[in-house]
Amino acid sequence: MNKTVQRAAALPRLLLVWMTLAVLAGCATSGATYTELQAKLAPPPAGEGRVFIYRTTVLGAAVQPSVMLNGTVVGHAVPRGFIYLDRPAGNYTISTETEVTRTLSLTLVSGQVRYVRLNIGMGFFVGHVWPELVSDQEGISDIGECHLVGS
Amino acid sequence: VLCTAAARLVQFAGCSRVAPVSFIVAMVLAIAGCAFDISHVQRVPTTFVAASGGPDWTLDQDHSIGVGSGFPTQLRHGTHWQLVGRVPEGDVYHTSDQIVTVEASNIFEAMLVVQGVQVAGFYLPVEHSFVAASDRPALPIERRSTP
Repeated sequence: MNKTVQRAAALPRLLLVWMTLAVLAGCATSGATYTELQAKLAPPPAGEGRVFIYRTTVLGAAVQPSVMLNGTVVGHAVPRGFIYLDRPAGNYTISTETEVTRTLSLTLVSGQVRYVRLNIGMGFFVGHVWPELVSDQEGISDIGECHLVGS
Repeated sequence: VLCTAAARLVQFAGCSRVAPVSFIVAMVLAIAGCAFDISHVQRVPTTFVAASGGPDWTLDQDHSIGVGSGFPTQLRHGTHWQLVGRVPEGDVYHTSDQIVTVEASNIFEAMLVVQGVQVAGFYLPVEHSFVAASDRPALPIERRSTP
């Protein structure tokens, strides 16, 4: 009887450990870092530019909405992760959707590299992820330890 | 359901009758503030004509330009601006020295629109729209040169 009670008492602790492991597994980002990849990355093809989209913060790690470029899903807002996209010069919108849709519009010139940081803010039911265009200097400084999660 | 739950929660915590009402009001404000798009800018479709060779200039000091969204655009001291085109609202200038955006619930890449030395607003190249500045401040320009 005592053992049954002890097991029942241990259940919440086991549950907590399991949940913590699950959350950590969700946060873990594999793949090479930007710093490791930087030298190996070829420049964008002729007539195209490159957009890096990254998220540095693990705050609200469970919230990983899709990232859309001109309405097409190109990845997810993975904490400490980044993607890069080579696209023809032109006008683009980058958006994320949780409770609300947050959109950034930007231009892309041939040969240009742009950096878009995914920030997280407070929401009512879930956090809001919003894309922000940052300078090259800020982007390179931010993205160094982020991992490639798709392209 | 949320309001009832909140009221019960507060009552359970032993608060007065006024507290649940305040709590509900706070929740409603939170919903309004967090869950929906509450900040907009007034965009007017406009016609952009590319131009070059006009006078360029450098900003003499930091400058903040509001567009009524609550998120003013900061222009940095020392940034160099070049004429890239014209819209009916004024001359359109671009800088490579900083990111220029108009921010509300969404963010738009932007270029500065100037009439004389006064800021008229911003041109949004993706949306082909003009956003007027809340006021029309004179730009603190350090120097102008005609190439």
